[in-house]
Amino acid sequence: MKTAQGRTREAVALEPLMTRAQAGDNAAYRALLTEVAARMRRLVRRRAPWLSAEDTEDLVQDILLSLHQARGTWDPARPFLPWMVAIARARMADNARRYARRAAIDLAAADLAETFFDAAANTTEATVVNLMSVRKAMDELTPAEKQAVDLLRLREMSLAEAAAASGSTVAALKVAMHRAMRKMRGTLWKE
Amino acid sequence: MRDPEHSQGDTDALIAQLARDARLRRPLAHPLRRALGWALLALGFAAAMVWAIGPRADLAERLGDARFLCEQGAALATGLAAAAAALALTVPGASPLWRLAPVVPGALWLVTLSLGCLRDWWAMGAEGLRLTPDPACFLHIALIGSLPGLVLYLMLRRGVPLSPRLTLALAALAAAGLGNFGLRFFHAQDAALMVLVWQVGSVALIAALAGLAGRALLRWPGAHAA
Repeated sequence: MKTAQGRTREAVALEPLMTRAQAGDNAAYRALLTEVAARMRRLVRRRAPWLSAEDTEDLVQDILLSLHQARGTWDPARPFLPWMVAIARARMADNARRYARRAAIDLAAADLAETFFDAAANTTEATVVNLMSVRKAMDELTPAEKQAVDLLRLREMSLAEAAAASGSTVAALKVAMHRAMRKMRGTLWKE
Repeated sequence: MRDPEHSQGDTDALIAQLARDARLRRPLAHPLRRALGWALLALGFAAAMVWAIGPRADLAERLGDARFLCEQGAALATGLAAAAAALALTVPGASPLWRLAPVVPGALWLVTLSLGCLRDWWAMGAEGLRLTPDPACFLHIALIGSLPGLVLYLMLRRGVPLSPRLTLALAALAAAGLGNFGLRFFHAQDAALMVLVWQVGSVALIAALAGLAGRALLRWPGAHAA
């Protein structure tokens, strides 16, 4: 009974909100995203219980960004949830691939860091060269990407704190950080 | 290190940002309808290219040849089905059967050409199956498929990359298939084996290359290339 009621509630609550959101109703869109975020948080926790709270929230944010990009593909004549779940499933699969790749890169980076910054094994000149490599990789970044790295990685701020400090938005910072990391990995691995 | 409440605060901030960005977004039309619109544009471009290059001298005779019409019909149907399938694959929750849409017309295309090879061999012996270099086919197909391919790519970007490699391969199959359809109106090459190897081969190569670039060209917002 509870399930049946829940289903009825989903059918009543989400489709009209999405229809209004497609028509440009900001309040309806906000209500829809809030509801979707709560449901996706539960879904991600159930499907990937090993993720940290932070990674879970990152994934929920990825799903919300994807919904935003995809919102024109929802057909008001069709139910909302299967559409939403197809997006979530694709993003969770992408995230799993990225997570595995990042773990491999972080492991390799830890090995590199040990080699580069082992004071006993390295000369001062070698340390300087390594720091210059990192600096060179930073030089490849745009000002917005540099700021994202500075606030999020060097000062270890949260996305919300960094957004407030920089006058930017959480979404823009996430995109800038993704791009910065990709560029820096590319530059460092080339060397 | 962020705590869970902070992380959830980030999500709330993101929701506020996205809600502020919400503007009127009309739902996309059905993939088949969009594919038909795209095909009209692609055929218009192909017609312009045929006019610019000059139609083949025996075109009137070819238009009365059932085999030519059959092969061209199958190429056109393959391109149209591939375009509809590519567009459908960018719609979350669309039936996975869409990806099979080009299989039947594609198989029909290959079968008509294979039967043509047999007929050529029956009529002319080994001479009917002679294979000579014809790399211009690739260039012409790429040229006629270029603008329609670009337009289809932009149409795909209005959806989401659920299967980026297959989606882009199907889109390239559509563009190159229609490119091949246009090519045969000015390129007087009807030996079935030549068409099969140089023309269908070019279409398959273009689709395969596009498929390899799928993950780089069709991406989620803020996502890494694979």
